[in-house]
Amino acid sequence: MSQLPELTSDERARYEWQLWVRGFGEQGQRRLKGTTVFVSRIGGVGGAVAMQLAAAGVGRLILAHAGDLRLDDLNRQSLMTTDWIGKPRIESAVRRLRELNPHVAVDTIAENVDQCNVERLAGPADVIVSAAPLFEERLQMNREAVRRGVPLVDCAMYEMEGRLTTVVPGRTPCLSCLAPEPPPNWKREFPVFGAVASTVGSLAAMEVIKLAAGLGEPPSGRLLNFDLRSMTFTTITIARRQDCAVCGLLSHETTF
Amino acid sequence: MRLRVQYTAQLRTVSGRAEDEVEVPEGSNLAELLRRVASELPLEAAPYLLTPGGELQPSLLVAVNNGAVMSREAHAVLVHTGDVIMLMPPIAGG
Repeated sequence: MSQLPELTSDERARYEWQLWVRGFGEQGQRRLKGTTVFVSRIGGVGGAVAMQLAAAGVGRLILAHAGDLRLDDLNRQSLMTTDWIGKPRIESAVRRLRELNPHVAVDTIAENVDQCNVERLAGPADVIVSAAPLFEERLQMNREAVRRGVPLVDCAMYEMEGRLTTVVPGRTPCLSCLAPEPPPNWKREFPVFGAVASTVGSLAAMEVIKLAAGLGEPPSGRLLNFDLRSMTFTTITIARRQDCAVCGLLSHETTF
Repeated sequence: MRLRVQYTAQLRTVSGRAEDEVEVPEGSNLAELLRRVASELPLEAAPYLLTPGGELQPSLLVAVNNGAVMSREAHAVLVHTGDVIMLMPPIAGG
């Protein structure tokens, strides 16, 4: 990001309220505009991430999600609309994001992450957002983030709880340090409110904005666990594993 | 000695509660505590704590007083009176 893009007068007006944020300002906005973010997938959590990043003026979003919209997606997938049931989710997402902010470039890929496509899908990204429902996908994105030395924001939800951490390769634990293998008893469908998805998605979007703009402190080496049933937010200290098969050999400090 | 064990995510669902007070002998380690918890919770909780072979579930993340411990390291961690143990099975998105 040596050559930061300039802001237009329309963009200055659109982002005026966040340009007032201490430590962000025009330089932060330009850095955000110069940032490409990969989000997989764009359901309840990833959709909220994409919406907040688009509203904030990220330069480019690369969104990956296969499949068609179902009625039971609509309690939480805020980029989707009822009239789109039976049609590709990714098309509804790009339509809604372009309506929200036409300044943001949105690339869409109607695929889910796997071992064969992760490099192609996430390759151009400065930040990767892991919001997928399957651990295999999350671990693939984690490997790609570590391989390329780019940060990964991992966000998850269940019922009225959410979790979030930021992986900065070489400095923080990676996902494989925490869960080297996909858990055997995770169920693809689970209880959750859309408000929980939007909460953790918005937290993740804020982390991306912070990383892009060099604002605040990422939750490096920490895992946020929140429970909206009791409105309890807990931060767990997490550590790198030297024997981690993914990041264990990284000894250097990588900065974004 | 008595400790507080907090359940998150699927473990909270299957246990039907947010936490328990659990009594274990002085000098117990975290693995022994986890096995005690597994024996006292409903059967549906067992897969989140133990493998079919009876080993501690490798994917279970445990926080002892807000510091993470992987279950495979639990044998080496002694627990103490008043510790707060949070059990965190992995969750994802959707």
